[in-house]
Amino acid sequence: MTSPFEPHDVTWNRVSPRLVTAMLVPAAISLGIPVVVGVVLAVTISPWFWFLAGVPAVFLLWSILLVPRQVRAIGYAERDDDLLIRKGVLFKAMVVVPYGRMQYVDVEAGPLDRKLGLAKVQLHTASVGTDAQIPGLPPDEAARLRDRLASRGEARLAGL
Amino acid sequence: MSTPEHDLEQNGPGSGGQRAQPAADELDWRRVHPVTPLVRGWAVVGAAIVILGQQSLDGGPRGGLVELITSEYWWTLLAALAAIALVGWGYSVLAWRMTTYAIGEETVHLRRGILFRQQRHARLDRLQSVDIRQPLVARFFGLCELTLETAGGTDSGIAIGFLKGSDADELRAELLARAAGLKVAKTGPADARTQPASGTLTPPAVAPAPEGGPQFAGPHDVAPPTGAPGVPAPPGVPGAPDGAGVPAVGHVPVAVEAPQMPVLTVPLGRLIASVVRSGAMITLVLWALAVVVVMIVTGEFAVMTASLPAVLGAGGYLFGRLTGEFDFRVAISPDGVRLRHGMLETRSQTIPPGRVQAVRLVQSVLWRGRDWWRVQVNVAGYGGGESDDKNSVLLPVGTREEALTVLSLVLPDLGVDEPRRVLDAGLDGDSRTASAYVTAPRRTRILDPVAWRRNGFTVTGRALLLRRGRMVKILDVVPHERTQSLGLSQGPWQRRLGVASFQVHSTEGPVGPVASHLDTADAARLMAEQATRARTARAAAGPERWMENQGDRPGE
Repeated sequence: MTSPFEPHDVTWNRVSPRLVTAMLVPAAISLGIPVVVGVVLAVTISPWFWFLAGVPAVFLLWSILLVPRQVRAIGYAERDDDLLIRKGVLFKAMVVVPYGRMQYVDVEAGPLDRKLGLAKVQLHTASVGTDAQIPGLPPDEAARLRDRLASRGEARLAGL
Repeated sequence: MSTPEHDLEQNGPGSGGQRAQPAADELDWRRVHPVTPLVRGWAVVGAAIVILGQQSLDGGPRGGLVELITSEYWWTLLAALAAIALVGWGYSVLAWRMTTYAIGEETVHLRRGILFRQQRHARLDRLQSVDIRQPLVARFFGLCELTLETAGGTDSGIAIGFLKGSDADELRAELLARAAGLKVAKTGPADARTQPASGTLTPPAVAPAPEGGPQFAGPHDVAPPTGAPGVPAPPGVPGAPDGAGVPAVGHVPVAVEAPQMPVLTVPLGRLIASVVRSGAMITLVLWALAVVVVMIVTGEFAVMTASLPAVLGAGGYLFGRLTGEFDFRVAISPDGVRLRHGMLETRSQTIPPGRVQAVRLVQSVLWRGRDWWRVQVNVAGYGGGESDDKNSVLLPVGTREEALTVLSLVLPDLGVDEPRRVLDAGLDGDSRTASAYVTAPRRTRILDPVAWRRNGFTVTGRALLLRRGRMVKILDVVPHERTQSLGLSQGPWQRRLGVASFQVHSTEGPVGPVASHLDTADAARLMAEQATRARTARAAAGPERWMENQGDRPGE
């Protein structure tokens, strides 16, 4: 059975593996603190607090296992007339955005992203349902993609 | 504090106008009607009364308002109300003084705001719809508010209000004619003051048969074009049925409204029956029954008071739907579909050709016996949220014939030999009936045990049709050229079964077209082919300015 997420004429571009770090650091902070607090309380006060430490620890472990796969699953491809973006391991999703439908392109980078040399490119069409973002691009690639999308969008400009 | 005035004005040389866009200073800035502050101020006073009323219901620390009114200090209440009214009206007067609008060659300008000045320029070729709204209070003064929607998302429209009813109609005619790409001659500013909206314009291929002015519920608009009262046919404008595309430029004194052909009206009885049989009503009745049962069983009266807000909310929704869709009329004109509806607040909507992004025909459970359907549309700029229910309804309730007629108004050509068969199969066919629909395979009945037979799609020359739902039947129609982007998704269960769900992303609105649980091969093929079809359809799509021949404006 062929997967519908693997069109035959498409070679996928991968995003930077540094995105794993960018995704895991916030998770480690938000989940790590309850784990530490829970461990401290369990040692000092009552063993019942192991539950407090255990639940976030499981989530943390889960994301450590999953995030690298998620990052590997993110792919994008520029075709002649549209951009393909896919993501997801368990829940796969793919979106096709025609260049002529693009209204504007966002490039974003938070403090951690900048530290790691990453940026996120997001495409907006007239539909709010279009979930077309590519995280974890090197800034050069993000800028190149932005300019390319903008110029291709202009060439194929249509109304709505 | 004002924004630069030249941001959107220059559309490049030779952009279709007879002359270059005048600078903002040359524009003929007009004020809205002087009674506007009175109408707007009422909102403040009304809100004050409502708040005071709630206070009196709740009861204050010393007996609340009722106590106060009956005491010797009752005048303080009146004084407070008067002060609020004064402030409200004072503010509205200031706001009125600061609000001006102007119609340029290709743009509409609006200036407003007291402390924070706002200037808005909207390009007319991006116009999505023109609506005239008449709230209850404005109706006493014969005033209307004109709203021009562009596709900029929520709150991107330009609302010009309030205007005299006839002025609003003329302004709408002028805006639509300019947006349609007709050449509109301008008269001098002096003329424009005494005779607002005095652009001269002639929709081609139609006799000048204006509709009946501001009387929304009046009989004029169903009167035959000949002998209709209102604006007299100007001598310079012959009927000219053969003069398509050759607009008269010259001395034509009156802006001519494109004539409209009434298509259908929704009888009051059917509207009431449809609301009674609607899903919200069923929920409401079930809820009330549950409350009564619980009350009898527990003997607690408090159950009823606790559930009162929910009942009031549902009741309010049903009441809003009834009044909003009261006296619903659908008409067609060269400027697009005309809708007119409302009891307390009347709305007159114009949706030009090509502005409908997607159409949904939906039938709730209890409508099946009568074979009634509701038609909703996505129009960019109408946006989501509460206005969905008010603006995005093309037909609140109608028979299958009527629903399909309305569909054909916005999508005249489906690009298929037997459109009726395809549509019927989409409305209530399923995988057991032979049709052109590609349906979800039998193995998906685990994922969607009730409606798996209905999930499916078919492709015609001009549009993608997606059907689903068994209790509530839904058929979505998306013209190929209106596809924004396409999505494909697959969860773990779907992967085991070898199926995937397909989505078409449309602009914000009630229609969200999906085809769930398609065979992966079907889904992949649809995804690939639909992208191509959307591209070719866009290349061949009509111009944004619907009365302009394609090729006149290569940039569009």
